[in-house]
Amino acid sequence: MNALKRLMSDRAAALGALLIFGLIVVAVLAPWIAPYPEDVTAFHLADRLQPPSAEHLFGTDRMGADVFSRLLFGARITITIAVIAVGVAVAIGVPIGLIAGYYDGFTGGFLMRTSDIFLAVPQIVLAIAIAQTLGPSVENVILALSVTYWPFWARLVYAETKSLKKQTFVEAAQALGASDWRVMVMHILPNTASAIIVRTSIGMGATILTAAALGFLGLGAPPPTPEWGRTISEAREFLPDAWWYAAAPGLAIFLVVMGFNLLGDGLRDILDPKLRKGSR
Amino acid sequence: MRRLELVLSRLVWFIPTLFGLVFLVFFISNVIPTDPARIVAGENATEAQVQALRAEMGLDQPLHVQFGRYIGDLATGDMGRSLYTRRAISDDLMHRLPATLELTFAAMIIAIGLGVPAGVISAVRRNSLTDQVLRVLSVSGLAVASFWLAMELQMFFSTRLGWMPLNGRVSGWGPDEITGFYVIDSILSGDWESLRDTLHHMILPAFTLALPAAATLVRFTRAGVLEVINSNYVTYERAMGFPTPLIIWKYVLRNALISTVTQIGLIFGALFAGAVVVEAVFDWPGLGTYAVQSILQSDTKAILGFSIIVGIVFIGVNLLVDIIHTFIDPRTLK
Amino acid sequence: MTNTKKPGTLNRREMLAIGPLAGLGAFVVPSILRADTGSTGRYVHANNSAYDTLDPHTVGDVARVATRLNFYDGLYRWVDNPPRQIPWLATSHDVSEDRLTWTFHLRDDVMFHDGTPMTANDVVYSVERMLELGLGAGALFLPMIDPGNTVAVDDHTVAFTLKEPSAIFASLVGDIYVVNSALVQENEVDGDWGQAFLIENIAGTGSYTLSRYDPARGFIGERFADHFAGWGDKYFDEIEFRTVLETNTRLQGLMRGDYHGLDGYLAPDQIQRLREADGVTVNEEESMRVFHLAMHNGRAPLNDLNFRLAMVHAFDYDGYINQIMQGTVARNPTIVPGNLWGVPDVPGYTYDLEKAREYLDAYRAEHPGEEIRTLKIGTLAGFSETEQAAALMQNGLAQLGINVEIESSPWPVISTAMQNPETMPDMVPYWKSTYYADPNNWIGELYGSRYAPTRNVSSYHSEYVDERLEQALIETDQAERERLYQEATQRVYEDAAGIWIYNTKWFGPYASSVKNIRFCPVGNGQDMRWAYAE
Repeated sequence: MNALKRLMSDRAAALGALLIFGLIVVAVLAPWIAPYPEDVTAFHLADRLQPPSAEHLFGTDRMGADVFSRLLFGARITITIAVIAVGVAVAIGVPIGLIAGYYDGFTGGFLMRTSDIFLAVPQIVLAIAIAQTLGPSVENVILALSVTYWPFWARLVYAETKSLKKQTFVEAAQALGASDWRVMVMHILPNTASAIIVRTSIGMGATILTAAALGFLGLGAPPPTPEWGRTISEAREFLPDAWWYAAAPGLAIFLVVMGFNLLGDGLRDILDPKLRKGSR
Repeated sequence: MRRLELVLSRLVWFIPTLFGLVFLVFFISNVIPTDPARIVAGENATEAQVQALRAEMGLDQPLHVQFGRYIGDLATGDMGRSLYTRRAISDDLMHRLPATLELTFAAMIIAIGLGVPAGVISAVRRNSLTDQVLRVLSVSGLAVASFWLAMELQMFFSTRLGWMPLNGRVSGWGPDEITGFYVIDSILSGDWESLRDTLHHMILPAFTLALPAAATLVRFTRAGVLEVINSNYVTYERAMGFPTPLIIWKYVLRNALISTVTQIGLIFGALFAGAVVVEAVFDWPGLGTYAVQSILQSDTKAILGFSIIVGIVFIGVNLLVDIIHTFIDPRTLK
Repeated sequence: MTNTKKPGTLNRREMLAIGPLAGLGAFVVPSILRADTGSTGRYVHANNSAYDTLDPHTVGDVARVATRLNFYDGLYRWVDNPPRQIPWLATSHDVSEDRLTWTFHLRDDVMFHDGTPMTANDVVYSVERMLELGLGAGALFLPMIDPGNTVAVDDHTVAFTLKEPSAIFASLVGDIYVVNSALVQENEVDGDWGQAFLIENIAGTGSYTLSRYDPARGFIGERFADHFAGWGDKYFDEIEFRTVLETNTRLQGLMRGDYHGLDGYLAPDQIQRLREADGVTVNEEESMRVFHLAMHNGRAPLNDLNFRLAMVHAFDYDGYINQIMQGTVARNPTIVPGNLWGVPDVPGYTYDLEKAREYLDAYRAEHPGEEIRTLKIGTLAGFSETEQAAALMQNGLAQLGINVEIESSPWPVISTAMQNPETMPDMVPYWKSTYYADPNNWIGELYGSRYAPTRNVSSYHSEYVDERLEQALIETDQAERERLYQEATQRVYEDAAGIWIYNTKWFGPYASSVKNIRFCPVGNGQDMRWAYAE
């Protein structure tokens, strides 16, 4: 509770939380707040490429569909991709980091070297290679992102675990005869939680950007999915005349990623005093 | 001695990491649903021709045999041939590498040139309006999708205003190729018109690419400088009556530089990766454009070669940074 | 008895162009002497795909046709619209009585760029090379002629012995691009037929010689003044073809004056913008490039005529042509382009959901209790027209209660999938371009059993249609061929074997100063020897 209050007292973090809250609300309520919810699949060819107006807040697209309505539905895809991909990456990365840090001998070395291989190329390059191989779809984007992003959490938890292992409370638990699993899950993991949360918030932003880039390159969801990155690439053909077509999803991506980054910064200040030192 | 040990232990890991990378990408790219032999044979080929080609390309062999063959070829610098053009992939990649490196370096210079001073100013004028504005800008720089920014900048500065070239590295055919880096080549050959033109073409893509990196640098420099300013010896010198600007130059910037160098490996990676998308928007004839084209054509071996080259550059730069770091900040040796 | 043919008759312009042949060599005035003639500078073209190879025998696509047309010459050449062939490296040909041996008479004044005279041996080498590599146009010849059956009768006569009679062989010889055999052989490495060499170098007789080449950027050609066909009064001394992948960038570049011409199949919104721009002229030509949705006739429920009839009535042809394409294309009722011969006189199917429902009810009556499965449409990633067509079909079928799933993949992926009946999606929207102007290019290749499954991707098989298509391939009487193609096409139409939508128009955008672009549906107006600037 205290943490939440402190978070909200930081203007930037509060703004971040607000943006993310907005994204979630929009995603959940899209069918009700969208002025033309049917425009995800239905078209009005006579109204193609209309500029923004009272009826169409952000204008219409190449099929005469309402850009604003599609944008709202796109929020659902964005949030789905980000949550599942990051969730899976955390689910893979955290246990690996924990095990590698705890058994810091051959096992740990092997696991960390494996994660080094994944980190040896920029994430987007690996994600492109995987998404390209599997074919364009939302599921494959999620898979590609999970597979490429887990090492970040593994590295983080590995480093934390290694230092926590030498702490007295861990040694005490071991002395009392607690099993390795118990020590890892009950004693070490809770102490790495704040670092994981901070990394996750910032990781969401990065994941959304990469997912959008995949969509832009044509490796994301197939049409007529209202995915933001794909909408921007669709819109490119109609620039500079239909400027609203590309501007709207670009700004949406910007706001959402900004939200996660601001929240991540705020969380770090509160949860991770080590990093906080000197940053304010 | 310790330095040598560190460097050697890093070098020892270079090969297995690279091998692991090749292994990973090779198997990823072989899950592919296409039949490369059919692509090469063309749409008019009969089944028998496709079979023959499959045998010729070694595609009838089990995957591990294909992998062994690939590794063997790779050791001699042979990455195979493009499915479409039958060009040697290693030649294509080496030909395009300078374009990407040049863009990456330009972006790096811009990122450092913008990010470090902004970070210092932000720290020195902590909590001032300038600080607030710079921090908002730096958060924004990390949140914007580079392909979108590239499109919008292109639309505004090239299409609407006509101040910037639309795309490419150079208007005509560029300077005589010596190194493949146009800035260097045009200086070496004294071709000042090409130099001007090259730099002009570089502005938008390099800026787009640099923005997120600059934002990262602002944040790190600010934190680094603040740490120094709050440290005891600065307080001490201040108490001794040294003028603030001198202190900043003497201690703060030196330390800021260290934290920047530490970041360079990371930043280089981010820039190199970002180039894939930015190049695609600006038709920059580098590795990124090549990769995107290969993706669209499902040219598996080309994508494989691209990933490996990027991996080598990436691992190499990180290795280099680690080594440089031991000189700048000897603490790492302890 | 043999019959000698000349491909088409000559108009004045061609007589100038191929002057020496017509005995009019003296009329080709050395253009340098006249002030208002001669070189009109340089032409820069922005192309939508990369010139990653210069080899004329390993690629056969329209996107990279400029290297073949400008650096090389074929036995005949396709020009103008409607397309016709004119004598080029060969002046005429004879066909033996058994219709198997085709003898081509070559010009005796053709020089390669290095000054070597071209002879029948070069033609033989080129044909053998194409057959050996089996890529590009080579694959088109492989089913017709075996290696070793092309012989040089003398220096200027070459004879082809085919496996079976063919009515279309002459239409294809424009694709026999002749390379300098001595030069290529000199550069062969490990019996690679000079593949490594010809990727980056040229060895042709063509209108332009290569002066710079960069696979990442494009090429520059310089006029070959000694070309056998001579030159008109005005011409470009230098042509540059640059790769600019992004459509919008090509457009902007043309409007800014960076480029003088673009490839001509643009979306209507873009054409509209170019029309409004200063200093840009959009040349409009009827073309032969039919856009259709190929349907998998071999897989349930699409193997049922009633179901297919429901499909052909569920596509909003009007909306697509008049709204999305903004009326820039013409409705094409069958697979054969309406501006070619051999087309039956039938009205196009219409968007009529009532009718579609009736057919669907008829289908359901035949298949009681069957639930109609989700249909899959594969689209070409990066080709927005295919995506829009699929979305429109999805929309129409949704109203009939049929679910559609769209999967977008790059062309190489989808084209591989299409060539196997197991992996062919239920429908695929794509274009069938002109490789040679004969109905076989469309109705034969797409619905004849002989071409299954590689080009007849629909798994459509009809004895009635096959009989006519096979007969038309060996029949030499034009009227009879026309009748055969009409009958075959009519039957395919009645079987609703595909959803045929439109025949493309070509909108070639050029700087207004560029004149005399000689458009032909084969080659898309990229044969630059005729054009000049004013």
